[in-house]
Amino acid sequence: MAINLQKGQRVAIGLQHLTVGLGWDPAETGEDFDLDAVACLLAENKKIPCDEFLVYYNNTKSADGSCESTGDDRTGGNSEEGDDEQIIINLSKVDSKITSIVFSASIYEAKKRKQNFGQVQNSYIRICDTNSGEELCKYELCEDFSVETAIEFGRLYLHNGEWKFEATGIGHHDGLNGIVNKYC
Amino acid sequence: MPINLQKGQTINLEKDQFDLSSVTIGLGWDVTKKEKGFFSSLFASAEDDDYDLDAIAFLLNKDGKVANVGNQKLEGGDVIFFNNLRHTSGNVYHTGDNRTGDGDGDDEQLIVKLNRIGSEYEKIVFLVSIYQGIQKNQNFGQVDNAFIRAVDAKNHEILRYDLSHDHSFDGKCSMVFGELYRHNGNWKFRAIGMPYETDNFVEILKHNYL
Repeated sequence: MAINLQKGQRVAIGLQHLTVGLGWDPAETGEDFDLDAVACLLAENKKIPCDEFLVYYNNTKSADGSCESTGDDRTGGNSEEGDDEQIIINLSKVDSKITSIVFSASIYEAKKRKQNFGQVQNSYIRICDTNSGEELCKYELCEDFSVETAIEFGRLYLHNGEWKFEATGIGHHDGLNGIVNKYC
Repeated sequence: MPINLQKGQTINLEKDQFDLSSVTIGLGWDVTKKEKGFFSSLFASAEDDDYDLDAIAFLLNKDGKVANVGNQKLEGGDVIFFNNLRHTSGNVYHTGDNRTGDGDGDDEQLIVKLNRIGSEYEKIVFLVSIYQGIQKNQNFGQVDNAFIRAVDAKNHEILRYDLSHDHSFDGKCSMVFGELYRHNGNWKFRAIGMPYETDNFVEILKHNYL
């Protein structure tokens, strides 16, 4: 049974291998929709310790090797039905100074291309158990975040030595800039 | 907008706009205009004053060195130049040596099929030099409309140096143009633009890459 989290709901995951998936349909006309999945690995002070702990299109692997992107899809054409971009997480590799990992989705050049999630058909972000494929949490971006250009989807965080997931669902209007400004 | 974290550190939010599945290094220049004078046409042989620019590639291992130089004439190794036009893998090759600059656009091209390069290669460095430039008393500053450029698989220009009109290349016969390197499983291009007085790329090879 899939656990579907409401905003702010928390769950102890008890898993080490997770996958954050981002999926959307390619634009039928006009400019491409270029969505990006991003992970910020944060220290106690809620900032990334150095650049290599930001996983995004220009850095596909975190310094500790715990989070790795499968690569940048610039159109949504990678997968017909499933995830177009993924971040594969292995919690056993997380560096000891990292206490939380924030996952986000953003639209590249949203302002320039005058785009927001509401225009992107079948766009979603979700987190799954890598081994079983079971979905822990999923947001339909085009429905729930129609006027936004970036969203903080959720975070994995350490609590008493145990990893938990919290669905945050915080929308931003400034694309990836806002998220980078907050955590970097 | 890049965010500055610490000195020298930047998070670049711009995406690489280039398709680096293959890269073409193009070299172009104009044929020397001949003097019409009686004596010069009588005594100067045409070959002497032609500019002969060459594009050269070094394939480097993870230590930044050429692991295999081939035979004593650099044939069959990881240095691609006018006497070794095709890498043994077939993935780096020269379209041929142009000795005068005849023709429009690129006069010489070096093609790199990056998506097929073996994992033993971590970096590819590109150079341009004037063949026998010192002996012929030539340098980049004298050649008309000389350029070196890198073009991606979709024919977008990644980088271009104008060799004729840039004073940093006056008096120089060689230049390390730029390099392709692996970063987290992808290839990236870095501009270098480092000029050298020598007209002999083997000196640069020996000094930096062996």
